Amino acid sequence: MPSLRFQHGMVAPLAALFVGVVGFPLGYAAYLSVTDYKLTDRGAPNLVGADNYVAAFSDGAFWGAFGTTALYVLVAVGLELVIGLAIALALQKQRWAKDLTRSMLLAPMFITPIAVGLTFRFLLNDQLGAIPAMLDAIGVEYDFFGPGRALFTLAFIDVWQWTPFMVLLLLAGLESIPKEPLDAARLDGASGLYVLRRITLPLLAPVLVVAILLRCLDAMKVFEYVFATTRGGPGTETETLQYFIYQTGIQFFRLGSASSMAFIVLVVVLAVIVIAFRRMERTKSR
Amino acid sequence: MRITQWPTSGRRSGRPGTAFSAVMALVAVLALVLTGCAGSGGPEQAEATGTGEVSTDVSGTVRILMENVPDTDIVKSMVADFNKEYPGVEINIESLTFDQMRDKLVSSFQSSSPTYDLIVVDNPWMVDFANAKFLQPLDARIDSTPDYDAADFFKPLTDITTVDGARYGVPFYNYALGYLYNADDLAAANQQVPTTLDELVSTSKALKSGDRAGIAMQPQRGYKIFEEWGNWLFAAGGSIYDADGKITLNTPEAKRALKAYIDTYNTAAPANSLSWGMDEAQRSVSANQAASMINYNWQLPALNEPGSGPAAGKIKLATIPGGKQVLGSWSWAIPANSATPDAAWAFVSWITAKPNDVVRTEKGGAAIRQSTLQDPAVLGGQFGEEYYRTVEQLLANAAPLTQGPSGEEMIQAVGTELNEAVAGKKSVDDALAAAQAEAEKIQG
Repeated sequence: MPSLRFQHGMVAPLAALFVGVVGFPLGYAAYLSVTDYKLTDRGAPNLVGADNYVAAFSDGAFWGAFGTTALYVLVAVGLELVIGLAIALALQKQRWAKDLTRSMLLAPMFITPIAVGLTFRFLLNDQLGAIPAMLDAIGVEYDFFGPGRALFTLAFIDVWQWTPFMVLLLLAGLESIPKEPLDAARLDGASGLYVLRRITLPLLAPVLVVAILLRCLDAMKVFEYVFATTRGGPGTETETLQYFIYQTGIQFFRLGSASSMAFIVLVVVLAVIVIAFRRMERTKSR
Repeated sequence: MRITQWPTSGRRSGRPGTAFSAVMALVAVLALVLTGCAGSGGPEQAEATGTGEVSTDVSGTVRILMENVPDTDIVKSMVADFNKEYPGVEINIESLTFDQMRDKLVSSFQSSSPTYDLIVVDNPWMVDFANAKFLQPLDARIDSTPDYDAADFFKPLTDITTVDGARYGVPFYNYALGYLYNADDLAAANQQVPTTLDELVSTSKALKSGDRAGIAMQPQRGYKIFEEWGNWLFAAGGSIYDADGKITLNTPEAKRALKAYIDTYNTAAPANSLSWGMDEAQRSVSANQAASMINYNWQLPALNEPGSGPAAGKIKLATIPGGKQVLGSWSWAIPANSATPDAAWAFVSWITAKPNDVVRTEKGGAAIRQSTLQDPAVLGGQFGEEYYRTVEQLLANAAPLTQGPSGEEMIQAVGTELNEAVAGKKSVDDALAAAQAEAEKIQG
């Protein structure tokens, strides 16, 4: 069957690339996760079976970091969605200087996250920063990196930097929505809120799911803001998964343990993605 | 997992036997490759060191990995003079930020082909790197280098380079902490330089006026708070390890030190500074927003440099109350897989030799040798005799935060507990008990 062989031949470069770029690091990490490998070890490490996974599952600090990250993602992406949707709806109505406002709005996205983290570290500094000074002028004192607040401050930094991304996706989605149902609803006398709830948002649903998913995946990787500002403090309040795994694997040299944690995160994230897409497919088929 | 599934997924080839064999072969090859990947690099045992008497005819390229700090720039500025004596040695310095440097260092050790021929090692890494045999023992070289006088290095610095009786490095520069204060503020508040823990607390409170803090502190979780609080612990008469090397963080002295630290943070430090580290504290003092801080001794010249801020020229350095301070240090070390260890030692022994150490220190490099701090050229130089006399006292009585394996992890664990106590999330007793337990678990 020459045609079948040809088809396999055509897919071979992609398969090779996949094995090399994704498969090998993944396979290597899977292998490390069942060893006691430390970066300061010499020679081949010992296989320890599921010991690292058992240790990670029973490690309160790991699950604490999981919870911290989940809360961070929820707050950051939730705010980005609401603010992003509002801005996108407003921008859709804009008549002039569209290109200028859109390019200005996207500017935060082009700054590297570590620079954003360092900038906010000093902008929010109570003694040296501009924002606390302005708040002080109106009689407000707020400890941005204090207990109970630091995680929300980090989420706010995420909102500042990544809301434009949400705007970009939602705006593209809004502009691709067919105009006819909207015009028909308006002719029938539907209010703006009704049109938004019953027509715009349902038609925008596929874009919304993708936008939320992309932002959630990205927000889960938060590392730079933590590294530049709180280093996981106060206590362990801002110890996110990436920072926790970085400390375990790189700072403390325990790469075997860190790989097992990374794999647990991978499985959880994959499960969430699969569930999200299945739900989307089900909604579409209805 | 995905690799093994790949050949069987997609369309069937109609020849299951072949596909199965291919999968098994792929699994076998991968297993071999993966097993061979981890920790395969470098020699199993660190090579015995050569002689310290390296001929000036030696040739080769010495690739050095260093931290991106002013001391590295000073070393770079001296390479031309080194090449006048050793024309055949090419010095190639790569400088990176601290975190990038550690990551690159560890990966370079794992490589079978050498990446760096000479490195600098931070003190918490020394025991781990030496135990892993990443570094060459340098005793033979140090002892056979003519006119080297290794006993002239400050002992707390050489103690850090010594692991199980063998020396794996020579000092590059010190990170000893000291008490930095604004002399005008101290005089205005009618205060003396504190010499006890109680005086440190009362002076810090007395120095606070309005929005200006009495002392800029560094309670940031992890390394910074432990590094700063360690000085308070010493001032309270406590220690991190006892004479037998056992951890002593849950003691009455430690409790007194932590209570005093929290009291001072709540009453004399800048408001809302729980995440502050070295940069914020330095900027606060430099901007005249805080009257004192505990920080690295070598920050004094930068703080007093004309034009650096409104506090320039007013800052002075003193020992930590009680006389003992926390010490950090960087040391020169030769990796076990160095391609040019002789040329590397030629450079290390040259830059740390007495006459060249004087030049390096005159240029602003941090002190490592006792004799250098007696040299008239240094004492009469840009930073003044008073500064160097204090540095001499700092280095005479100083101890690092960690002296065992997994130093970095121990520091982070203790620093997290201390930060929890300052944030009010744990009591002093609970935090210190947890710090003791964590440190014992990590360092055995």
